[in-house]
Amino acid sequence: MITKKDIMEISSLSKLYLSENEINTAINDISSMVKFVSQVNSVDASFEPLESINEVTNSFRDDKIVNSFPREEVLENAQGGKEGFFCVEKAR
Amino acid sequence: MCSRSVIKKINKLLLSKELSCKELTENYLNQISSSSLNAYITVCKDKALKSAEKVDEKIRSGEKLELLEGIPMTLKDNISTKAIETTCGSRILKGYKPIYNATVWNTLKSKNSVLLGKTNMDEFAMGSSCETSFIGGAKNPHNLNYVSGGSSGGVASAVAGNIAAYGLGSDTGGSVRQPSSFCGLVGLKPTYGSVSRYGLVAYASSFDQIGPIAKTVEDAAIVFDEIAKYDPLDSTSNPKANSLKTYESLTKSVKGLKIGIPKEYYDGIDEEVRKSLEKALEHYKSLGCEIKEFSIPEVKAALPVYYILACAEASSNLSRFDGIRYGYKTSHYTDVNEMISKTRSEGFGAEVKRRILLGNYVLSSGYYDAYYKKAQNLRGLISRAFDKAFNTFDILLTPTSPVTAFPANKKYSSPDEAYLCDICTVPVNIAGLPGVSIPCGFDSNDLPIGMQLIGKKFSEAKILNAAHQFELVTNFNYIKTPSMGVKI
Repeated sequence: MITKKDIMEISSLSKLYLSENEINTAINDISSMVKFVSQVNSVDASFEPLESINEVTNSFRDDKIVNSFPREEVLENAQGGKEGFFCVEKAR
Repeated sequence: MCSRSVIKKINKLLLSKELSCKELTENYLNQISSSSLNAYITVCKDKALKSAEKVDEKIRSGEKLELLEGIPMTLKDNISTKAIETTCGSRILKGYKPIYNATVWNTLKSKNSVLLGKTNMDEFAMGSSCETSFIGGAKNPHNLNYVSGGSSGGVASAVAGNIAAYGLGSDTGGSVRQPSSFCGLVGLKPTYGSVSRYGLVAYASSFDQIGPIAKTVEDAAIVFDEIAKYDPLDSTSNPKANSLKTYESLTKSVKGLKIGIPKEYYDGIDEEVRKSLEKALEHYKSLGCEIKEFSIPEVKAALPVYYILACAEASSNLSRFDGIRYGYKTSHYTDVNEMISKTRSEGFGAEVKRRILLGNYVLSSGYYDAYYKKAQNLRGLISRAFDKAFNTFDILLTPTSPVTAFPANKKYSSPDEAYLCDICTVPVNIAGLPGVSIPCGFDSNDLPIGMQLIGKKFSEAKILNAAHQFELVTNFNYIKTPSMGVKI
């Protein structure tokens, strides 16, 4: 049901590199998982969708300026932060 | 009858000055370091002792001590703790130290809780055995060859093994209730919106909820009453949370309580689990409850609905792990795309990759309507079916898991075979309801059996009341207790 092409496409969307071995395992695993979740297609689902199980919608806080995290702290966990910025390689 | 609450016993012990909080904490830390449970990922020795000294100072000066003060406890390793490593059981977050505290930890810290450390879990809470953790699974204190359950397996292992008085886990599809059931503990999954998710590393945001794992219903109620409150930092937090007070309702009579038995939950469950639940029903009958079987066929779709929606949300939530701002970063790459892809491929484990792939598959164009949209529709159907059931019943009684703890390193023929274990727990998350698992017996291998009480939204007081009344007439939460760890 799931082809190698499908796996290549979704792994690229997922930003995951898979080895040849992992691709073969993924074809089996994802096929089996998709077959499993396809059970939803055997049930009548012509109802209103439930977008949220929460009764709370549009939760706004007061429009007041509050303290934010200090820039140095935010960058503490970044590898390769420079001059107060996150740094990445140039995109090509 | 004398209370079996571990929190109350410790509080009494501290106030009697028989033992200082520092001595008690040292006992716990010593037991943790000699433990073979693999329950902890990080131990916070210095910070724990410092918190304990603060409590001792308070006791010495004769100040009033609240129940949670000085109680040595633990947090699942996906609950953010400032300057304390928070790994989510994943290689990709090894070394990551959050710069802020989760609201639940801020609350408990302000009550002078003693955080012993961060406990083991399935990687990003994806699993039902704790074995997808990058350090391997936490063991079941009732039998070390068996799993502790998951994903909050470390918390359950630590509490059952007496190397934490209680702990907080997170429950997306059963991750608090199922390990509690496997380890003979009480585990509460609160109503969606009643406990702040701020600082909980997200797996599936519309399902995730933090809840207590403890030895007794009293302990779970004491902790829940403290952490249930409205939090402006979580946009899904509900102001109703502020009025949730469960502890004071525990002693109420359950005479006349209407208990529904949804028969679909009992299809294909283990015979020993079934017999245990039948005995539990007899107890409730003798307490004056009205028990009636009914049918809720909508829950048959719960597992596929859950795996579609949870994986879809996970694929989006986990896209933040890119090696740029925090966590693991690959060392060799030529451009930014390669850096992100290699970081993620090297940092995530197999189960996490599978769920991200499935999530992106059901969200991708061409499949969105067939899977994601349909699952959302069915989520509504399931939720409304529960609403209807609660027009007739006060609470529902079901197994927590169709089986008891299984042996470690169990092999499955496919990933979805392992998911079947979650069949009794996921419907509660789909509908945003509260559910509590409590011990109700042991199987022939002396492994604990758990049962689940489900209530309508914000009815935690009712399900914990029914749970406590059951606990009072049974002894499952203190017989056959593992003899390891700290004796209280």
